[in-house]
Amino acid sequence: MGNIIESHHLSKTYNPDTIPVHAVNNVDLAVEEGEFTALVGPSGSGKTTLLNLIGGLDYPTGGEVKIEGVDITNMSENKLIDFRLKNIGFVFQAYNLIPVLTASENVEFVMLLQKTSKNEREKRAVELLTEVGLKDKLNKRPSELSGGQQQRVAVARALASKPRFILADEPTANLDSVSTENLLEIMAKLNKEDNMTFIFSTHDQRVIDKARRVVTLVDGKIVSDTKK
Amino acid sequence: MLFKIAWRNIWRNRTRSLVVISAVAVGLFAGMFIMAFFQGAINQEIESMVETQLSHIQFHNPAFIDDKEVNDTIANGQSIVKRLKQDRDVKAVSGRLITAGMVSSSSTASGVEIHGVNPEDERSVSDISKDVIEGGYFTGLKKNEIVVGEKLADKLSVKLHNKIVLTFQSKTGDLTAGSFRIAGIFRSRNSSFDQVTVFTRFDDLAAILGTTGGMHEIAVVLKEGQKTNAVAAGLKKQYPSLLVQTWTELSPQMALLSGIMDQMMYIIIGIILLALMFGIINTMLMAVLERQREFGMLMAIGMNKPRVFAMIVLESVMLTCAGIPAGILFTSLTVGSLAKHGIDLSSFSKALSQYGFSNIIYPVLKQSMFMPVILMTALTAILSAIYPAIKALRFKPAEAIHKI
Repeated sequence: MGNIIESHHLSKTYNPDTIPVHAVNNVDLAVEEGEFTALVGPSGSGKTTLLNLIGGLDYPTGGEVKIEGVDITNMSENKLIDFRLKNIGFVFQAYNLIPVLTASENVEFVMLLQKTSKNEREKRAVELLTEVGLKDKLNKRPSELSGGQQQRVAVARALASKPRFILADEPTANLDSVSTENLLEIMAKLNKEDNMTFIFSTHDQRVIDKARRVVTLVDGKIVSDTKK
Repeated sequence: MLFKIAWRNIWRNRTRSLVVISAVAVGLFAGMFIMAFFQGAINQEIESMVETQLSHIQFHNPAFIDDKEVNDTIANGQSIVKRLKQDRDVKAVSGRLITAGMVSSSSTASGVEIHGVNPEDERSVSDISKDVIEGGYFTGLKKNEIVVGEKLADKLSVKLHNKIVLTFQSKTGDLTAGSFRIAGIFRSRNSSFDQVTVFTRFDDLAAILGTTGGMHEIAVVLKEGQKTNAVAAGLKKQYPSLLVQTWTELSPQMALLSGIMDQMMYIIIGIILLALMFGIINTMLMAVLERQREFGMLMAIGMNKPRVFAMIVLESVMLTCAGIPAGILFTSLTVGSLAKHGIDLSSFSKALSQYGFSNIIYPVLKQSMFMPVILMTALTAILSAIYPAIKALRFKPAEAIHKI
């Protein structure tokens, strides 16, 4: 299988002119389609920064990121937004759903941005929410859902745009053990059955145990990269 | 869905939004109420001037307007009056003699404008007969009766049935005088007018002036005031040797005041909306800064900048425009009620009557003012959203997502 993500000499330095902080330091990473990869490491090791760079949410200070061969490091902000919409799904630690929309509307919203027809949006939102076990919560707003349920809506939203891969930044950090187990099962199932590529940062050993590849970062550098 | 999100976002902080909506409603009410009040006052003032002094159209000898010479009469005035009375657009006509003179009582004297009128005709043209508060409007049969304003009577220290002397220039240029008995005292809305205007019978004044057949002024009241310009244009062609003027030509300052009311309304509403704009900007800015993480997420998942901008503008427009129906409804109800019962300003009657304003003002709310007010408010909302929207567009998704 080909590489879906490649980074070459990727670096991100904060405060380069005062007290430089090398959040990501000369990272070379290649991720193949269908991988279930965990980025691990202590706090401040650069996991979130690396995910932001891979996801086109931030610009590197050195090196490059290629998504399916397309260099995104020199794209304009507007082009990057469009690129993210079409290619990348995001799951955030704090769920980050739109609080005034229901679960199905949250899922539909990404498809709306992609100008998908109303019928298709509604149909796919139901399908995705059913897939993550929230068929009976379609019309619930985030405030009416538990943390685990909200994160499952976030996963459904990330899948809605039919992305090439999903980036998840500490997706289980705010979840209890049951919700974590549920979410991991859903992510693993999507990875196995739909060949969806997942890259997630985590501290959680249960998540690390589920990953098929574990990349460990320390001080912005990859110190180990193991495949199970 | 952007509309849905924008509308629901407004109600995330109900109290804050209600404060803005109330401020818009109260601001619009204040602006429109002030305008309705002034529109009513000016309409009444115009009505009063037309009914007591100007009428809709006046005829003069062109030379009379400049110097008000006794000899500058409309020579065939009586026949013109007869013809005008048969015009289908004309409601009433009255011929007048007008001269400047001095009125004297035993205690003092005062300068006045003396109007010689035919009481029957004048009743239909002017409201002065209805303003008589003591005595009557030439109800007796005696000669040399005079009707004076209350203010003048007070100044001359005279009462009903007292005698006063009018002194003025006759047709021959000699100074002449006549003794008149006060038959009535009137009080119009305009105390300045009351102090300088007296009314005598046409024939009594003509006899002393020495004019025969001629008159200085023909006042015409139309059946429909809106037709004034059209009818006047026809009469100007019909009587090219005479000066035919509409009330707007006779009192250009009043016509101007009436004309600039709309502009004044836009200026007043504009000032109110400008003040409101700062409140709306503040509210929208708070809403945007509070939702930094949300905007970061929206941009991260692919919401482009024009859409983010549009969403904030929509929120601002919806928030602001939600106050419009309440403002218009409140204004309509208030003005509707006051238009029937009037606003009693008796405590300011002295000052108001000096300028010819009534003690009771009946506000007038023009329906045509609603659409411009709605558009101005919407424009204010759009302008108010620009700064908060620019602020939101500057958020970096990677940083904004992690804001608490």
